[in-house]
Amino acid sequence: MPKHDTPMMDELEKGPWPSFVTDLKRQAVKNDQCWDILGQMELSFRDKMTHWKHGGIVGVFGYGGGIVGRYSDVPEQFPGVAHFHTVRLNQPSSKFYNTEMLRKVCDLWERRGSGMTNMHGSTGDLVLLGTRTDQLEPLFYELTHDLNWDLGGSGSNLRTPACCLGKARCEFACIDTQAVCHGLTMKYQDEIHRPAFPYKFKFKFSGCPNDCVAAIARSDFSLIGTWRDNIRINQAEVKKYVAGEYKNNAGGISESFGKFNIKKDVINLCPTRCMWMEGEELKIDDAECTRCMHCINAMPRALRPGLVKGASVMCGAKAPILDGAQMGTMIVPFVKVDPDTEFEEVVFYIEKIWDWWMEVGRNRERVGETMQRVGLPTFLKVMEIEPIPQHVKRPRENPYVFWAEEEVEGGWQRNVQEFRAKHKM
Amino acid sequence: MALSKDELKAKILNKAMTAAKPQLYVKDFYECDPESGPRDIKNAANDLVKDGKMVFWSSGSTTMYAAVGRAKDEEHR
Repeated sequence: MPKHDTPMMDELEKGPWPSFVTDLKRQAVKNDQCWDILGQMELSFRDKMTHWKHGGIVGVFGYGGGIVGRYSDVPEQFPGVAHFHTVRLNQPSSKFYNTEMLRKVCDLWERRGSGMTNMHGSTGDLVLLGTRTDQLEPLFYELTHDLNWDLGGSGSNLRTPACCLGKARCEFACIDTQAVCHGLTMKYQDEIHRPAFPYKFKFKFSGCPNDCVAAIARSDFSLIGTWRDNIRINQAEVKKYVAGEYKNNAGGISESFGKFNIKKDVINLCPTRCMWMEGEELKIDDAECTRCMHCINAMPRALRPGLVKGASVMCGAKAPILDGAQMGTMIVPFVKVDPDTEFEEVVFYIEKIWDWWMEVGRNRERVGETMQRVGLPTFLKVMEIEPIPQHVKRPRENPYVFWAEEEVEGGWQRNVQEFRAKHKM
Repeated sequence: MALSKDELKAKILNKAMTAAKPQLYVKDFYECDPESGPRDIKNAANDLVKDGKMVFWSSGSTTMYAAVGRAKDEEHR
């Protein structure tokens, strides 16, 4: 039986889409707490303000992350949600679970919490929503000892690293995203579990520039698979595409788009105009390729990524917290991502960025904001990276060229007599 | 010369107990010893939490440190 009248929440059950309100009512049969969630949300809708208080000192011993405290500010009305802490679990790489593990974690959560989950939070964790303070330590013990499962990151920690499906499912993957995600998760356990930074820091790993985990948009440090040599072209397959032997977009789009037309559907859409036809052969000026992936996505039987594979390092993406959303800036165009060296090249840049940001970053300043504050030239100098044309977003707006003293022969010192001998006052 | 770990911990704890703000960011402790690196400071502050002398306070997006008893505790407000 419903404990509270929730007419506004009930509205959210109407319509063709699945409703979390229906899920909550179903869960409330097992766990009475869920009625209080609905009741408090109804009150928040009516008052047009939240009745949650976020944050606190709750956690489990030895960990400075993974639990986010939450309390109701109307606990007398809704005692079931007086405490409603969130628990973040470190999801497996690429979110490959087996059903046995999911059943176990759900059973545990029904015993120790509300039974409500969020699959998954935007960082990637499996999120368990709502438990009481006294349940946290027993829950953590069972998670780690019986299920061999760990908490993820929260607060000013390294957040739970996340990756795309990578080589497990995807023909375009240039790096083993699961290996690098798991390897760095294990390497940086201290940074995940204990706050070290001025603010949050996120890693995301995408196997190719399609960037299915949106690393370039969401992570402070993104590693995106790429290739250093040329796109592999199978000219026989190109001919078949041109002859219309394959359906446009593999039949995934409406017939009204018409037959596949290599000029209209591929060549004219290349952002750097680096493709053309010579007779029946497709040509690509690979030096100009910006790795947009469109041609490879459109003609996967004819075009494939090159064979010298690695990743580009981007830095500084974030969601709109202070200055608005920001995409990652390409810092290093190509690094090797090699499990045999324990991802040495990747680790080198990560730790260089951390050492600088921990020193220079302001409280609650994401690394992308610090980069914006000091400017890319300064950041590149700190990283000891030589600027390259690809670092330039667009031609210069500023007509003044500023030289550093060490960049000028003889520095700022000059012989005034020698100058005056040639240039009278 | 940088302080020893015990000296650093004592300075951090003193700051946590006497600062005007009850909750401090890890960067606020950097001034306890300008000779120590950020990682040393972080490790010392984390040790104090392990020793039960300080606690973490987390908003979910940011984590701060506080001496035991000084942090804003929603549970007992």
